[in-house]
Amino acid sequence: MGRTIVVTAGKGGVGKTTITANLGASLSKLGRKVVLVDMDIGLRNLDVVMGLENRIVYNIMDIAEGRCKINQALVRDKRQSGLFLLPASQVHTKEDVDIDSIVSIISAIENSFDYVLLDSPAGIEKGFESAVAPSKEGLVVVTPDVSSVRDADRVIGLLENRGILGLSLVVNRYDVDLVNRKKMLNADSIVEILGLDLVGIVPEDKAVIDSTNRGEILVNYYANTIAARAFENVARRIEGENVPFVSLNSQNKGFMKFFRRGK
Amino acid sequence: MKLFRRRRSDVIAEERLKFILVQDRSLLTPAEFERMKEDIIRVISNYFEINKSGIELNIQRENRKTILEATVPVISVKRSST
Ligand SMILES: Nc1ncnc2c1ncn2[C@@H]1O[C@H](COP(=O)(O)OP(=O)(O)OP(=O)(O)O)[C@@H](O)[C@H]1O
Ligand SMILES: [Mg+2]
Repeated sequence: MGRTIVVTAGKGGVGKTTITANLGASLSKLGRKVVLVDMDIGLRNLDVVMGLENRIVYNIMDIAEGRCKINQALVRDKRQSGLFLLPASQVHTKEDVDIDSIVSIISAIENSFDYVLLDSPAGIEKGFESAVAPSKEGLVVVTPDVSSVRDADRVIGLLENRGILGLSLVVNRYDVDLVNRKKMLNADSIVEILGLDLVGIVPEDKAVIDSTNRGEILVNYYANTIAARAFENVARRIEGENVPFVSLNSQNKGFMKFFRRGK
Repeated sequence: MKLFRRRRSDVIAEERLKFILVQDRSLLTPAEFERMKEDIIRVISNYFEINKSGIELNIQRENRKTILEATVPVISVKRSST
């Protein structure tokens, strides 16, 4: 049975959807069969980030409400034959979702995939609950700022209360230059404050925005960019590989002493 | 003399976060939180002479448990207690 992981944050716009797409593609490059589930009902975007918006026929609400079978709603990625999107509905709202149906859809899918990644919407309301309910693990995304870390802390509390074991952390939009100039929270402090296992530091990279404009997943099309390499390392760490955290730029001396906490 | 040097903003961010999270993690309202602090001071003052302004409260989450940690600077033991 596959691993079901919710990608979440609390705060909006920190990179949940970007990380879901790139992590999914990276895992499928490693030979895994992966389905990405867009749980942002009414505000779907994962299709756009993957460049699959023109190929959607059915969505998860169609499955939940009996208009189609699961397989009819899955959309295959343009590059990775082992990567699929299960789109959100754009015409429903999060209040229309029946959480029990989502849970049974996901538990039916889990048997045919190595990974089910659920892209959670912003907030801690029903959309968040619908994404968390079927999940067994969580990937918490933060950007290095006070609001994002604060919201992540709140979400970690909620995830733990809901029995989600195995929470890990990705720090996104990291600006090594700012960190070196002591003007940005460094990853060590964030890990210490939140107390989760760090599985990735993704640098701020203009290539992310460029590839998103084109509807081309970064790791699929621009694998040599620094952000793509960081996404691929997240995938390898999630697979259990011990990938050392290397310096993101040559002058940096400070932040190689990452540790795992709370075991 | 560096009297007016601005402090590093990474350190300021970290301090602000730690302060905010103690309150957030307690899930108490600010008023309840203050009352808890006063209660702690009152109970401990029955036994010790303490430095009230030096009290630090910290809430940490570890291993799926929430741990409240209070650091209370003791000046002396009250000998005359019953
Ligand atoms: N590492 C990065 N470098 C540069 N830009 C990034 C990076 N990560 C994300 N972005 C950009 O930040 C914006 C928000 O990203 P994204 O949509 O993935 O966030 P989100 O958390 O899913 O947002 P929402 O809460 O609205 O669902 C996008 O424009 C994306 O291209
Ligand atoms: Mg999103």
